[in-house]
Amino acid sequence: MAEPIKEVTGFQSLMGGAGVQQALDAEEALRHAAAAEDLVVAEVAEPSELGFWKLAVIRFLHHRTATISLGVLMFIVLVAVLVPIFQGDLYRFQDYRHPFGAPFQFHARAVSLAGVSFSIPWTDHLMGTDELGRDEMARLIRGARVSLTVGLLAILGYVIIGGVLGSVAGYYGGWIDNALMRVTDVIIAMPFILVVVAVTAAFGGVSLTVLVIVIAGLGWFEIGRLMRAQFLVLRESEFVQAARALGASDFRIIFRHIIPNSLAPIIVSATLGVSGIILLEAALGFLGYSIPPPEPSWGNLLSGYEEALLRNQAYLVAFPALALVTTALCINLVGDGIRDALDPRQR
Amino acid sequence: MTFYVIRRVLIGFLLLVFMSVAFFALTRLTPGPPFTTGENPRAHQELIDRRMHNLGLDQPWYTQYPAYLNALAHGNLGDSYVYNRPVTELLQQRVPNSLILLGAALIVSLLIAIPLGIFAATRQYSILDVGTSVVSYVGISIPSFVLGIFLLLAGAVWLRHLTGGDFFFPLFGMHKSGIDTLDDLVWHMVLPVTSLSVLSIAGFSRFMRASMLEVLHQDYVRTAKAKGLARRTVNYKHALRNAILPIITLVALQTPQFVSGAIITEGIFSWPGMGLLAFQATVDRDYPVILGVVMLVAVLTVIFNLLADIAYAVVDPRIRY
Repeated sequence: MAEPIKEVTGFQSLMGGAGVQQALDAEEALRHAAAAEDLVVAEVAEPSELGFWKLAVIRFLHHRTATISLGVLMFIVLVAVLVPIFQGDLYRFQDYRHPFGAPFQFHARAVSLAGVSFSIPWTDHLMGTDELGRDEMARLIRGARVSLTVGLLAILGYVIIGGVLGSVAGYYGGWIDNALMRVTDVIIAMPFILVVVAVTAAFGGVSLTVLVIVIAGLGWFEIGRLMRAQFLVLRESEFVQAARALGASDFRIIFRHIIPNSLAPIIVSATLGVSGIILLEAALGFLGYSIPPPEPSWGNLLSGYEEALLRNQAYLVAFPALALVTTALCINLVGDGIRDALDPRQR
Repeated sequence: MTFYVIRRVLIGFLLLVFMSVAFFALTRLTPGPPFTTGENPRAHQELIDRRMHNLGLDQPWYTQYPAYLNALAHGNLGDSYVYNRPVTELLQQRVPNSLILLGAALIVSLLIAIPLGIFAATRQYSILDVGTSVVSYVGISIPSFVLGIFLLLAGAVWLRHLTGGDFFFPLFGMHKSGIDTLDDLVWHMVLPVTSLSVLSIAGFSRFMRASMLEVLHQDYVRTAKAKGLARRTVNYKHALRNAILPIITLVALQTPQFVSGAIITEGIFSWPGMGLLAFQATVDRDYPVILGVVMLVAVLTVIFNLLADIAYAVVDPRIRY
């Protein structure tokens, strides 16, 4: 994830000063450098009738925290996909009668069911309303769409760009490898915010496409480096040499032999990358460089924090912050579960 | 080795020249010229045009670049369009502020994270270990701006209820106006440093734990245990020395990024550092300031990467270039 990139001038510091992303990456590299070879060995050593991936799924499902997190995550995704379909334009509908509405204000509402009338507690705006009377919950759910879409599309970009360039550099080496590493150096030194401002100005404003292109274009190198490291190790491994001795083509060696064996760390890194991207998108929204209003995103909702706190409406900050942290935490825990499931050394 | 160092220095130099071209072009090609934001919105177009012409900004970027490179080679970063002062002077003012803030955050987080990581690794699966990893998962999932907002809220509202209206921690800036004592500075640093540290504590402690576990499973540690050495000696004399190396490298490689500051935290707590300067310069299209910050970071990054690689070769005789 986010941080050998820099703060203003970077990506990683965008999330907070010292580079945790880098720390996590290095941790990742430490583990997988050793695990890459074990992976092959373990497949041979386990006399199980189930395949590697089936075993991994079983191991994942035995990981309680990860399974619960996956459930929470699926709930968040379902809500983000389904609820806005029913709510329509509610996220920008201004309820002039109830601006500045506090959350959790229930009142009695008469209901009659089969001729029997009784009253139930009811609320129009469960999470309150903002200064324009817009329903906070509808905005939060609508905002989830932006965060999740950007997260998924950008990670796809990471995997495609990083996967292709990383595997080419790792497999062929030589000047291609050198060139790729230097490009990576430049990207790391690239001032992220400056690029975002330049690209958004060039496109005439921020849109989902621009966000995804910028984030994927600047963030792919982590997966690229990981892929390259995998290829460097596996290229020299005995089973690849055997395949080569049997006359297999480069294409066959790469797609049949190396890629299936290098997937595990990529999957883990991609999973953890999603949470990094979601936090990054929120940071951009916080600075005013995400989807423009009235379209809400979690970062946009948080960026009005000063006014919200001055008006004593801390809930306008608390709900998006909670949503953001919960989603990121669940993704991280799922990623950790996947790592444990794929790591045959079974911590 | 000598040949390798010479080659690396040359490559680093070429890389810097290439980056200066790339960043120069990037700033000049960004739509929206300078003097259109922040200045008087009713400023006469003719005045803006004349100023652009005087600065040579009406020419294509590749015509402007040689003059910039020439000035850069003489250590002249130009004058800021917004502040009308030399960029070097601005950097001299702002860099120390960011270094103080981020340096303090780094020291605090290392002082907490390294012992945490060591304890978690030497007592794997204990309550402390599980607790640390739970807390660090929450820690890496909380972006510093969310934490910053809540610290602001705590400082501005919740803690004031306790103190009966007085501000417990100062919320904004580096100093009370007119006072520049050290304890005033430290007092102002509490909230921003906290919001920056939590994320790094979480990251560093996980990294330290992984690194320590890796070392503890190595043969020479088992040998040391088999010799009957005390656990303490094995853990802290034999294992720790090797386990702490990667984290030192990690910190060393991050140091250059410190001069670029922490934009969001500096924004929330109004800390007059590089992050705010660079962000405002980007929004204002203050080209000399943007390029000054970016090139400073680029130069430091190249130097530190080179130093790290050389240090590796010196420390570890197995590495040959």
